[in-house]
Amino acid sequence: MITTLLFILFAGMAIGCAIAMISQSNPLYSAISLIGVFIALASLYVMLAAPFIAAVQVIVYAGAIMVLVIFVIMLLNVEHVEPRRKRLKWLVPAAVAMAAVLIAETAFILYSVQTSQANLRASGSDVGLTHSIGVGLFTTYLLPFEITSILLLMAIVGAMSLARRTNILSAVARVVPGSQVLAMDLVNPGSTSDLPAVEADTTAEVRRLMGVDISNTRNED
Amino acid sequence: MDFNNPYIYAAGLIVAMTIAFLTIMLLVAFTVLAERRVLAFIQGRIGPNRVGFGGVLQPFADFIKTMMKEDLVPDQSTRFVFLLAPMVAVVTAIMTLIVYPFGPTVTIPGLGTFPLVIARFDVALLYLLGVTSVGVYGIALAGWSSNNKYSLMGGLRSAAQMISYELALGLALIGVILIASTLDLFTIVEQQSGWYGMQWNIFYQPIGFILYLIAAIAETNRVPFDLPEAETELVAGFHTEYSSIKFLLFFNAEYINMITVSMLATTLFLGGWNVPFAAYLFGPGTILFAIVSVIGFFAKILFFLFLYIWLRGTLPRFRFDQLMNFGWKFLLPAAILNIVVTATVLFFTTG
Repeated sequence: MITTLLFILFAGMAIGCAIAMISQSNPLYSAISLIGVFIALASLYVMLAAPFIAAVQVIVYAGAIMVLVIFVIMLLNVEHVEPRRKRLKWLVPAAVAMAAVLIAETAFILYSVQTSQANLRASGSDVGLTHSIGVGLFTTYLLPFEITSILLLMAIVGAMSLARRTNILSAVARVVPGSQVLAMDLVNPGSTSDLPAVEADTTAEVRRLMGVDISNTRNED
Repeated sequence: MDFNNPYIYAAGLIVAMTIAFLTIMLLVAFTVLAERRVLAFIQGRIGPNRVGFGGVLQPFADFIKTMMKEDLVPDQSTRFVFLLAPMVAVVTAIMTLIVYPFGPTVTIPGLGTFPLVIARFDVALLYLLGVTSVGVYGIALAGWSSNNKYSLMGGLRSAAQMISYELALGLALIGVILIASTLDLFTIVEQQSGWYGMQWNIFYQPIGFILYLIAAIAETNRVPFDLPEAETELVAGFHTEYSSIKFLLFFNAEYINMITVSMLATTLFLGGWNVPFAAYLFGPGTILFAIVSVIGFFAKILFFLFLYIWLRGTLPRFRFDQLMNFGWKFLLPAAILNIVVTATVLFFTTG
């Protein structure tokens, strides 16, 4: 009884936050809604007797990744923009088709689970606990685990090399939302090149003052 | 009275949570007073000593004064997020309280045997880290939603600082987890009993303890890591626009965080509720032993709180680049080195 009530509460919270996430026009509200989704999913994991997955879900997604997203949103200070209706018209039917595929997949999984002959494990199993997950990761699934780590490391290195090459602004000046551009050597002395510091209100002004032309950065003004 | 009955168990839990909450709130109030008195002593002043005997009622007078102030919401702020931020800060601070073992397993005649901890579960330590990492949003969102440049700078600084030091904080704990081979805080404390107090993890993990202490001070935004609210640069940082009860919530959250971080340091490194010789004098499981243990636990917390105030009275603030360099180039490698050494030693000693 109480389990059902809690499930309805958390599932409703997850769905409500997900709808709020895609319907908001303000990116920060979308990010907050996404955090709500993650926390609701973590609660559902706890109810499924998988506390380790729940804790990791909160630490990694709600704690680490979304903090970075919010950090970027705060740094860029995105203004409220009206959505452009004409762009990418084929996106809506494509999204509907993919959603239909996803729902069909879910329905198939539900159907096959409910009609399968395999016995469910006893309720006293240790499947979701830290010890069993650790043993699994470092014995049976050691190779996939290590490969995933190397993949993540490569992603970090790739992101760093991409960021260093293309974005001249971030190497020299730091745009602070509001009206000022801090020279990098104010933030981190000793790290600057010979380029001079500038004071400006917008990124475009920085480009003009510094005489750099960056065509592939975000066109915000 | 049988704690196997779910209704009695739930009622007991609610009583335990109420006691823990009230204790922490009182501790917050008197930590604020102690901070003002000790800082005054360090600086050669007297400090607040007029309200009540020696100033003991000062926190309550401050509370009433702050509550009476006008509750302002800036005109151009993002109103919903502005209201949400202090709640997130204080709720995440209080949520961590449920996993700390305040005392040993105790047998009370007529009530039964139970451990003095509100919730005991497999991933208590990960739960703590998760809740703490959500706490960043309180400060970051407060800074963003105020529509104030000082607030925004404070929010950005705190987000950067907390992300950087959370890593070192988590890694500093891994040495203890390797030794204990569990994430359950109650079991970790029980493993530190015996040997007349020489089995505390601080003797096995001295470097981990120091790294954790530094990272924890940064994590709670206290001097010398208080850049998010550096009053000489940012007015009051992320809570510049907050007044009345919302300011009080932020203020409370900061002090509750100080206390819970001290509790974690005590639990993991200083033996939690273990008091040397107590088990031999009173016998484990008795009420007297439980009382002495709880007092020992809070005495250790008070030591950490005094350390916080002492640091605030003596150390100047870091510059932002010093802060980042220290976190990423010293604290993080040192923590990783500590893990490697601990794992190697454990591999050769336990086989």
